[in-house]
Amino acid sequence: MDAIVEMKGLNKFYGTHHVLKDIDLSVSRGEVVVVLGASGSGKSTLIRCVNGLEMYQNGSLVVDGYHMPVEADRLLGGEKELAAIRKGVGMVFQQFNLFPHKTVTENITIAPMRVRKKSKEEAEATALKLLDRVGLKAHAHKYPAQLSGGQQQRVAIARSLAMEPGLMLFDEPTSALDPEMIGEVLDVIRELAADGMTMMIVTHEMGFARDVADRIVYIGQGSILEISEPGPFFDNPRNDRARTFLARVLKH
Amino acid sequence: MMATALKWSRHNLFGKPFDALLTLTVVPGVLWLIYEAVAWALSTAQWDIIPQSMRVLMIGVFPADQVWRTWVAAMIIAALTGAALGSVFAFRVRHAGFLAVALAALVVATGVSDPGNLLYLAASLALFIGGWALTSRVPFSHKFLMPACFVGLIAIFAVMAPPGAGLWGGLLLSILLTLVTSIVTLPIGILLAFGRRSRFSSVRWICTAYIEVMRSVPLIMVVYWIWILMPVLTPQFDFADVVRGMIGFTVFYAAYVAEYVRSGLQAVPRGQTEAARSLGMSEFDINRSIVLPQAIRVVVPPLVGNVLDIFNNAPLVFIIGLTDFLRAGQMILANPQYGDRTYEVYSFLFVTYFLVGSVITFVARKLEAHLARGSR
Repeated sequence: MDAIVEMKGLNKFYGTHHVLKDIDLSVSRGEVVVVLGASGSGKSTLIRCVNGLEMYQNGSLVVDGYHMPVEADRLLGGEKELAAIRKGVGMVFQQFNLFPHKTVTENITIAPMRVRKKSKEEAEATALKLLDRVGLKAHAHKYPAQLSGGQQQRVAIARSLAMEPGLMLFDEPTSALDPEMIGEVLDVIRELAADGMTMMIVTHEMGFARDVADRIVYIGQGSILEISEPGPFFDNPRNDRARTFLARVLKH
Repeated sequence: MMATALKWSRHNLFGKPFDALLTLTVVPGVLWLIYEAVAWALSTAQWDIIPQSMRVLMIGVFPADQVWRTWVAAMIIAALTGAALGSVFAFRVRHAGFLAVALAALVVATGVSDPGNLLYLAASLALFIGGWALTSRVPFSHKFLMPACFVGLIAIFAVMAPPGAGLWGGLLLSILLTLVTSIVTLPIGILLAFGRRSRFSSVRWICTAYIEVMRSVPLIMVVYWIWILMPVLTPQFDFADVVRGMIGFTVFYAAYVAEYVRSGLQAVPRGQTEAARSLGMSEFDINRSIVLPQAIRVVVPPLVGNVLDIFNNAPLVFIIGLTDFLRAGQMILANPQYGDRTYEVYSFLFVTYFLVGSVITFVARKLEAHLARGSR
């Protein structure tokens, strides 16, 4: 299958702290990969490397045909590759990170207008369609603070989709939400998966992970310890640490 | 009513023996001071000096037959400040009415009676209210506020220049100096603040050095240095003292504005930049459309405080021989004929400074409330 993300021997350090160790991972088009692991294991860092929010020091990372420059090259400019990658990769954050001084519609239209040079009319039409898709058409002219957490996160998803990304990254999209709002956000992500969107998702929602994932990647202390399909992973993990992790999180 | 007053005073003024002692010494003292001041102001003081020297106080030694030029400047200033106010403080007819009444009272109190001046004053008020109503009712016009300010400043310079910039003075000079400095330092300060966060260490170094040097030396020295340096650096241009003074103030206060803006930039969460980056936006677009608007929103109150600071430090331009409002008052007193009117003139200076300063702090407080409401 055609890989959209290809990591080979990727290493990342924070100073002397080795955060990601020899990561080999490839994600195919249309695939949903869920990254699991204890907190501090490096799972967020891993997906943040894919759109260059975190720099890596050595190894190689190819996203949609573009080579992500390593840190040393980033500092010397490699901006073009980075910009090309970011155009095609959407990201949804734990804290939503909507722009508080802009309305919902403006949040969604700003990037297509500035980056893809779309006309205002075109961008707004797309925004409205996307808002309809995430069930928030009626809130188009509100400011983010007037929305609930779940609604804000759905706007954030629509904002990313407006750039027509080939890959979506989700960094714990429901961790900052009240329990009753988690479902509405997960449903949107499920629909995306059903539509064939390629996604890399970091989450603590095990039931959701099992439903939506094509593959589960389990990370511990910066290394990939297991890659399996969700059924085998949840029922019979091969890795010992994965087994204790699951025993702990599935108890509740 | 009486009972609550008694209860209140018992609780607040005579709560403890020490409180009672304090009340019994301070209250009569304050009352006595007020009595003396009022008695002096109403009976002893000879206020006729104020209307007689009003022109010098307001515009310094600007030629009398060119006064219309200063009125045009005043009208431009009125329109601009009105427009600035309107962008944060909704226009209401009763507020405008109150303002008109207050101005009329001021006119009666200071004894301005020349019909020409009254007409100009009315026109200024009308422009102020017009600008206020415009930006308040037409949100679209906010976009043009900053360009309008620059155009207005240039127009003021153009209209006031012909008789010679050396003749500018009085309250008008103080206000012009404040306006020019506040408006011009804003873009420079923003650039410096971004420069201090630049990826390029050379830019970072230069901006940091500039800001730190300016913040470590006194204003009066920077003004003096610029004044003596400019003829050496630009011998082909003969800049007037006024312009050199304004440049000195701008050079100095840009560093302070930069620090305020920087504190605002730091207040914008990192997630905002990350989200914009993940959408593929360029660093320039991110700074301009995502980070800066949020940063400015945080720092508007301290920036308005900075305007007050500039206004209150304007008298320091006497060091390069300019006649600002305070200096104009001293000039009047230098006339032997008026030698015994020191208290009258200084009282007038005090009240005027206090009024202008109060207006600025009032606007700052309104701004803070306005922004608090906007911070959703």
